[in-house]
Amino acid sequence: MASEVKLPRLGQGMEAGTINKWLKNEGDAVSKGEPLFEIDTDKVTQEVESDYEGVLLKIVLPQGEAPVGQTIAYIGKAGEEIQDTGAPQSAEKPAEAHKRDPEREEGREAAAAVAESQVPGTAEAVPGTGASNGRVKASPLARRLAKERGIDLSTLQGSGPEGRIIARDLEQAKPRPAAPAAVPTGDIESVPLTNIRKTIARRLTAAWEAPVFQLTVSADMTRANDLVARARELNPDVRITVTDVLAKVCAQALMRHRDANVQYTEDALLKFPTANVGIAVAAPQGLIVPVLRSVERQSLVEIAGARGDIVGRARENKLTTQDLEDGTFTISNLGMFGIEQFVAVINPPQAAILAVGATIETPVARGGEVVVRPMMTMTLTVDHRAVDGAEGADFLRTVKQFLEEPALAL
Amino acid sequence: MPEITYREAVRDALGAVMRKDEDVFIMGEDIAEMGGSMGVTQGLLEEFGAERVRNTPISEMAIVGAGIGAAMAGMRPVVEIMYEDFLTLSLEQIVNQAAKHRYMSGGQIKVPLTIRTQGGAGWSPGAQHAQQLEAWLVHIPGLKVAFPSTPEDVRGMLWSSIYDDNPVIFFEHRLLYPVKGDVPEEIEPIPLGKARVMREGTDVTVIATGPLVHRSLDAAKAAEDDGISVEVIDPRTLQPLDEDALVESVKKTNRVVVAHEAVTRMGFGAEVAAVLQYKAFDYLDAPIERVGAKFAPLAFAPVMEQFVVPHAEDVHAAIKRTVGK
Repeated sequence: MASEVKLPRLGQGMEAGTINKWLKNEGDAVSKGEPLFEIDTDKVTQEVESDYEGVLLKIVLPQGEAPVGQTIAYIGKAGEEIQDTGAPQSAEKPAEAHKRDPEREEGREAAAAVAESQVPGTAEAVPGTGASNGRVKASPLARRLAKERGIDLSTLQGSGPEGRIIARDLEQAKPRPAAPAAVPTGDIESVPLTNIRKTIARRLTAAWEAPVFQLTVSADMTRANDLVARARELNPDVRITVTDVLAKVCAQALMRHRDANVQYTEDALLKFPTANVGIAVAAPQGLIVPVLRSVERQSLVEIAGARGDIVGRARENKLTTQDLEDGTFTISNLGMFGIEQFVAVINPPQAAILAVGATIETPVARGGEVVVRPMMTMTLTVDHRAVDGAEGADFLRTVKQFLEEPALAL
Repeated sequence: MPEITYREAVRDALGAVMRKDEDVFIMGEDIAEMGGSMGVTQGLLEEFGAERVRNTPISEMAIVGAGIGAAMAGMRPVVEIMYEDFLTLSLEQIVNQAAKHRYMSGGQIKVPLTIRTQGGAGWSPGAQHAQQLEAWLVHIPGLKVAFPSTPEDVRGMLWSSIYDDNPVIFFEHRLLYPVKGDVPEEIEPIPLGKARVMREGTDVTVIATGPLVHRSLDAAKAAEDDGISVEVIDPRTLQPLDEDALVESVKKTNRVVVAHEAVTRMGFGAEVAAVLQYKAFDYLDAPIERVGAKFAPLAFAPVMEQFVVPHAEDVHAAIKRTVGK
């Protein structure tokens, strides 16, 4: 059987290449290692040698662009017949039996006939039933969803008519593994940057320009937890969380330490009259920080409602630019992952971010005795251009006080 | 809200517009004393007199031609073609005159003519009296084509058609005349070019016209038992077509059945399918199904006629195919 010459991958990240010209004509004898064609990639132009010995039976792509892996020629014995594709022919037979009557109105009967002809087990007998003749049979919607979710359609079993892969077949499907074992070359998967990924990279790179320092403190969360529990009891319709208490407490502390609610610019230090607290959200599309406005003026219930709204919309990718603007301070909470303590990168142009860890039952000394208390460790990262160490420390002490004695925040 | 029949709704709209506006008159075969072959115009002669309710000779070409002339001269005539099968006789006037004058005169001439006609199978009138020929007219730039399916729609849309400055071909359906439905106390004009969601659903959109709207609603009810949630949309106006409404629905349901009583091949549904495959390609999860009459003339024999035209069961089967059940 003739060998397929496929468009080679000449480097990592190469997706396609352009055939410049063939160095052999159809019918020419070719030996292994002999230059066969010339290819353009986005980096170089290069001659490619034949992997096979024989006669160049057919040039499929005389010139022009093709994706990596596409068959561009066949090499075999002289006079050998070429099969159009290398796909297993046996897979086509059942699909052919299901061929549709072109006239849809008459197709009713045809469809019924198809249903009858689908002996149980037939569909399962064909591996990757969506595939026929090397082409995967899938609905346009399924194709779009597969592309968005990074799912390889050829791995799926189609449950639609004639084995077509339809949207519901993607519900259970797993995204394409990063390094499929079947690829011997161990290719690195190159995922194009989404706009949000680019923005995250740009913003956080800018953050490194700011000279920052960190301050860490632990707070006894006994009373804060009681407060959350009681607030939930009183407001069963709203899901109040520690994050809401943190937002409120930070906003109150920022109002008492106006020097920490600031932003550094080239010409001036901007002092904000209100505390707009950003909440870092791990949305499916990436990190995003929607902003709760004037938190110091809001009740816990209002904060919880507003937070539920923006976090929900962040996860559904439905935030507007307005939701992301005007933050003066950010809270990043990784407590739910069990992280005890971490350092957050400031969210420019803001001057401070509070990294919040998990609340952990910890033995602590109280009045000469060792007692177990729910302790939460917080690390404040501060832009030193805007806030000095003592100011930052004073602010953080207030946050700790407010968490330990919420009544002080009144 | 009062309940009236589709037939009464048409009569209501004609009467109301004629009472309001001296420029409106009606004309057609046997529409005066006899009240039209379907009884739609009964009583109008008594109220408005023979000047404004005019019988015509049996010449569809003359009826439409006279209507065009009157419209160009400033009237708002409503002419009746007894069966839409007979529209074929007046096509020269409709296609080459009515549809063209406004364009060819650079907008100096308007043709505010409404051509009412009816047709449809289901009562064995035979091959020459049962066709659905709307596809012939939607192909002509310069015409508007309406095909309402409920009393409320037929009344509100006939009003809008009469006051439209373009020629409107206004299709009624023989089997819909006795259909009853609630209508607002006062006539509320319904703009041309606006589809109507007859029933909301999430799994399949059925886009149906005329009697198939009602059959599709029955099919949707039947599909409920299969666990399929069906949305039914009536475009109401075939030209201009409310593409946005159809596309919006398809983006929600991802599956489409197009249903009309006319012959499927080259039918109105073919255009709908083409529009949707283009504008909602990436949202389609199944091939667009078309339901319509088989490619055959309609027989007198009721059994044979019923074999050819589409029923609720056909729509139901198409719905099931789109979801793979």
